[in-house]
Amino acid sequence: MTTKECYDLMGADYEDVLGRLMSEKLVRKFLYKFADARDMGELQSSLKAQDYETAFRMAHNLKGVCANLGIKKLGASSSELCEELRGGQCTDRVEPMMAAVQADYDMTLAAIRQLQAEEI
Amino acid sequence: MQNTVLVVDDMEINRDILTEILGGEYHVETAENGRKALEMIEKEQEELAVVLLDLMMPEVDGFAVLDVMQEKGWIEKIPVLIISGETSVKAERKCFDYHISDFIRKPFDNALVKKRVKNVVSLFQYQRDLEAKVHEQTKTLREQNELLKLQADRLRKSNTNIIEILGTVVECRDFESGEHVNRVKGYTRILAQRLAQDYPEYGLDQEMIDVIVSASALHDVGKIAIPDNILLKPGRLTDEEFACMKTHTTRGGEILQNIRNTWDDEYGKISYQICRHHHEKYDGRGYPDGLVGDDIPIAAQIVSIADVYDALVNERVYKDAFPKEEAFRMITEGECGQFNPKLLDCFRKERRAFEELKTSYDHMDND
Repeated sequence: MTTKECYDLMGADYEDVLGRLMSEKLVRKFLYKFADARDMGELQSSLKAQDYETAFRMAHNLKGVCANLGIKKLGASSSELCEELRGGQCTDRVEPMMAAVQADYDMTLAAIRQLQAEEI
Repeated sequence: MQNTVLVVDDMEINRDILTEILGGEYHVETAENGRKALEMIEKEQEELAVVLLDLMMPEVDGFAVLDVMQEKGWIEKIPVLIISGETSVKAERKCFDYHISDFIRKPFDNALVKKRVKNVVSLFQYQRDLEAKVHEQTKTLREQNELLKLQADRLRKSNTNIIEILGTVVECRDFESGEHVNRVKGYTRILAQRLAQDYPEYGLDQEMIDVIVSASALHDVGKIAIPDNILLKPGRLTDEEFACMKTHTTRGGEILQNIRNTWDDEYGKISYQICRHHHEKYDGRGYPDGLVGDDIPIAAQIVSIADVYDALVNERVYKDAFPKEEAFRMITEGECGQFNPKLLDCFRKERRAFEELKTSYDHMDND
């Protein structure tokens, strides 16, 4: 699997990220880091604890990292969730939005893990 | 030169990306929250070339960091570049109100981040260099100014010395001159102070008054060129003798002209004016040049009254002393030649001060 194929699988834009980071090696390095980060877990737990302020911040972070790595699909769904949570209140749209983010995240993570597995 | 970049972001992956981008050219340090960032800025402010700051962070966020940096004046010394996922223009505007140097949105482009950081760093470096240069030049200027002041001071002292030495020379020749020189200085100061106060059109300031008073000691320096038989003759002089006596003004001027080159301009000029012109009269009937009115230098006019008053109230080889009241009347009524009406006004106002000074010298003689 090439990095480009991994990006296609994630619904992400490889040309964009390569244009900005300028090295495939770097792109991979940060993808693996992203996969290892615990931010998704923190987003889930803060929502469960109804700590919407932290949840907003974590969604915002997720959105930012996705933007930097060109992970468009997950970036879009986390951006929607982030805007919904802005101001620190919960609406009934948060739950389905979180579900969408979770689905995109799982798909993204699976693609990255596959890329990683084939590299080793 | 400052070469450290501080990256402040709560997301490790963002810190890593920026470290990767900038690590080649700068020494990169990272902080995962605002509190730690402020600690590092405080500690390393001399080494920091730029701070890359995320806005949204737990506890102490980017704006709180900017608040402190503004309060402590760091924001003027260390450029701040905001790197944020925040897309609203409002946040960007708010940041620029804090005088940040640039605002970069995520996702960022490696090449652009590098360029923008470089721009900001070199701009601030340039500014620091300029400030250092200005500081250096200001220091040099201040030192030179100090030196000038010191030299001016030395010159003033040396001028005073010359005058005192010359004054002593006159005293040695002229029996009555010892106290005379000091009394004339006293009367000169009284008149000059009053003139400066009541007639500002003469532009006398304290420094000028000091010069005039000091130089007044030289008014009769030309007398060292007058033969003893004329200078010390009791009783009236013949016309011929008087003509010779009058030359003490021009001879004095010549003596001062000769040493003028080594002198401070102001001192030399004033001394010369006093020597040559202290026998001029306001109506043009004085000597040696017959100058009229304010063509007579004001320093010479002042010393002239002081000299005449002192001659009147003291005994001379050719005359007795007049009572103070009589001397006052003779001067104000023009019996000793015409004086400047403004100076006579000052003289009237200072009558008591003149008489007190005279009395104080009388007491000294009796002691």
